[in-house]
Amino acid sequence: MEPGAAQDRVIGPSRGAVPSRHAGRRTTVGPGLLTPATKMLLVAVVYYLAARLSLRLALVEENVTPLWPPTGIAVVAFLWFGRGVWPGVALAALLVNLPISTSALPAAATAAGNSLAPLAAAHLLTRVGFRPEIDRLRDAVAIVLAALSSMLISASVGTGALVLSDAIPGSDFGPAWAVWWAGDAMGVLVVAPFLLTLRLLRRGARASWARRWEAVGLFALITVVTLVVVRTELRILFLVLPLVGWAAWRFQQRGAAPAALLVSSMATWAVARDFGPLSEGTLLERMITLQAFNATVAFTSFVFAAVVAERMRAREALERSAGELEDRVRRRTSELSGANEQLACEVAERKETEAMLRERERQLAEAQHVARVGSWEWMIPQNRVTWSDEMYRIHGYGPQQFPLTFEKAVERVVKEDLGRIRRNVEAVVRERRDQDLPDIEYRIVRTDGAVRVLLGRGKFQVGPAGEPLRMVGTVQDVTDTKRAEREHRIAETLQRSLLPDRLPEIPGVLLAARYVPAGSEVQVGGDWYDVVPLPSGQVGLAIGDVAGHGLRAASTMGQLRMALRASALDEDSPATVVHRVHRLLERLDLYEMATLVYVVFDPDTGTIRYANAGHPPPMLIPEDGEARYLEEGLAPPLGAARRPDGYVEAAAVLPAGSTILLYTDGLVERRGVSLREGLDRLKTEAAAAAPDLDSLCDHLLASLVGDEVSDDIALLALRPVPLKGQSLHIRLPAEPHVLGRARQTLRRWLREAGADAQEIHDVVLACGEACANAIQHAYGAREGYVEVHLDMDQGEVRVTVRDSGSWRSTAPPGGGRGMELMRGMMDEVAVERGPEGTVVRMRRKLREGAPV
Amino acid sequence: MSELARLDVERRDSLCLIRVHGEVDMSNADELASAMEGAVPNDAARLVVDLSHTIYLDSAGLRVLFVLAARLGARRQEMRLVVPEESPIRSALELTGLATVVPLERHLEDALATS
Repeated sequence: MEPGAAQDRVIGPSRGAVPSRHAGRRTTVGPGLLTPATKMLLVAVVYYLAARLSLRLALVEENVTPLWPPTGIAVVAFLWFGRGVWPGVALAALLVNLPISTSALPAAATAAGNSLAPLAAAHLLTRVGFRPEIDRLRDAVAIVLAALSSMLISASVGTGALVLSDAIPGSDFGPAWAVWWAGDAMGVLVVAPFLLTLRLLRRGARASWARRWEAVGLFALITVVTLVVVRTELRILFLVLPLVGWAAWRFQQRGAAPAALLVSSMATWAVARDFGPLSEGTLLERMITLQAFNATVAFTSFVFAAVVAERMRAREALERSAGELEDRVRRRTSELSGANEQLACEVAERKETEAMLRERERQLAEAQHVARVGSWEWMIPQNRVTWSDEMYRIHGYGPQQFPLTFEKAVERVVKEDLGRIRRNVEAVVRERRDQDLPDIEYRIVRTDGAVRVLLGRGKFQVGPAGEPLRMVGTVQDVTDTKRAEREHRIAETLQRSLLPDRLPEIPGVLLAARYVPAGSEVQVGGDWYDVVPLPSGQVGLAIGDVAGHGLRAASTMGQLRMALRASALDEDSPATVVHRVHRLLERLDLYEMATLVYVVFDPDTGTIRYANAGHPPPMLIPEDGEARYLEEGLAPPLGAARRPDGYVEAAAVLPAGSTILLYTDGLVERRGVSLREGLDRLKTEAAAAAPDLDSLCDHLLASLVGDEVSDDIALLALRPVPLKGQSLHIRLPAEPHVLGRARQTLRRWLREAGADAQEIHDVVLACGEACANAIQHAYGAREGYVEVHLDMDQGEVRVTVRDSGSWRSTAPPGGGRGMELMRGMMDEVAVERGPEGTVVRMRRKLREGAPV
Repeated sequence: MSELARLDVERRDSLCLIRVHGEVDMSNADELASAMEGAVPNDAARLVVDLSHTIYLDSAGLRVLFVLAARLGARRQEMRLVVPEESPIRSALELTGLATVVPLERHLEDALATS
């Protein structure tokens, strides 16, 4: 079947512009190159030729032929070129009939009938939607019926004309009519399909060589067989049928139509020439046989072919739809497999995510466990509480031991703290909005009875109407941390309280101290220092280091300091003081090892005496020149030797402007650096001249200590400054015991100012009285200060004694001599009393002029 | 006794000799007073306070001396002070009129001598 065969008919004007008066007609198939006139001519010519040829087969007076091909040609012409070619057909028919008719009128009538009949047949076929391919059963049936019915016209008209024109007797009308009808009908049935299939042959697909040989062989066979059966006496005409059937089956119309034509033509020729089985009997009998045979052949051929074609088409359609189905199935399958793959991917992803999630959960639980943090959630409307595993553990339960409500969750909270918790909850619930709960510390009693301190944090969430919805938060067991913090705080406080919070102001002496504790992770250490102003006017300096850290070391350090102070106030000799401290350590059963340096500085003589129990040596930094270590007076650390031979002391000169520096080993000891190296470094750095003691201390710390401080560091420095030529300014606490020292300083200054012994005594007495007055009267029970200022101006000593208290009016019984003495000792005394305090100004001219 | 002052007490027959070394101010005046009072027995006829080595004596110390003199006087016990001429505190003592109450001898022998 050609590919085009399954198409629908062309509706409407074909290519090639058939003129418009043909428009709307169906099945206008025809080469658009031929003009209507040409077509008519062509049809007429072919018709005429075919007619002449066929007349040779006439059976009845040369008029009636058993097979009249022109009808078929005419029908096909009408089908191909349309009804417009009827003039050609009519003309040709007339030309054909004229010679064989008795006169023109019957010829014309016959011609008319011969024209009308094919026209009617074509019209009928067109009306029923006949397909030229005759590949459907209905087409085959249509053509049969059209042929049979429309040829009634031509047969009737033709025979009638013959009878009326006396060409044949009226009694022969019947047979003549039968022959005519049969001939015309067969003409259509045999010729028309053949002509129609010629077109198909033209558009046919290339057949394989095998098929071609088959076709050739088949037709050869048909020819031979037909020849045989029409010429033999045996009545075996039917033998042709299988072959025609084969042609129809194998080649459909293209095989069937030619085969039918071939067979019918030969049979008709045989009848005309009186051959074979078709030559016996009357004309009618012969006609009947022939027509029956032709009809059978025709039927077998193209009806069978149509059926086969139809079935083939159906099968093709089925195959096609099967192919389409397969395509669709394949597509769908690939889609499905694609979707399936995707699904598999997603499932794998989902599994991975699940695994990750589980891993995260596990990590979270672990983290909670390590940090001792548990998490909780309270769904308030349902009063359902969810705890993490760690939460259960914190309370002493096993993980997820039982479900919880709020009451059960707070069951183990200490009663007093529970009140606070409830109040916090109520407070946030009242506010009716999302907010964080305040952090709260509370205690619980764990299942094993231990009291633990917990730090709770949380968030509160409300629903759309402000109703409480949910609380969620964490709880951390901070018991140990708190304990450690508390201990650390205690140790820190203790240490801080044991160190002097400020250095005493000692006139004529500069003091500076530094204390750098080790990093806060390390507990407080045992370094300490102290400055003890001695009643004799000398100054005691001490620095020490107690081994160890924490509360123990701090408390030992405190006791040492107090012991030293007490001894220093009593004892003059550093060695003795150190010894007494050592004895105390022994007696108190304090087994810590401690080092100590104790230095006594005499401002009057400018000398120092010192004793060193196992401590790094003090350093002497002259104003100019190289610093050196004071390495004498050395003894083992306190508490080290059971019965030390005795502590020794040494002496050195400390001129004004030079510095003595005491320090602890934190300053010079570094990991990986020997002590000697550290000491050398200290010496080097100390050489960097610093204008004052504070910058010296800062410089030493900056250059010797890095960022990491692993050991405490204490520094203590003292520098005598000359008083000569400068005014003296003393600030004394308003207490009796300071008077002795102050007098020492005054004496020194006056001595350096050039006053003689009597003058010194007098001025000192006057000052002493003024200070005593302030101490007695100014502050009552409060603390206060007395400021004494001495100036030398052109040989005159000017004294200002100032306090900031309010003068009490009561004078002590038997007292009051103070004023008398002051006036007696000084040239001039002026007292200003005010709400801000009292100022006493005094002047005394010295006999000698002021020295430089 | 604080480090400011030191007392030496000596008994010579019916005499009580107290030497005061150092400084006397309001911080140790009371101590000095009770020490001196405690050191004088009831049967001593005379108390001699040697201030030769006292380098500082202010109004508080003076008060002590005044009070002591008054007390001893009430018990018919004598009191004498020794303040050398060159002692810086002499002028102050003279200034306050202590001499009118207690004799200010210049030499110890004078104070010890029975008049």
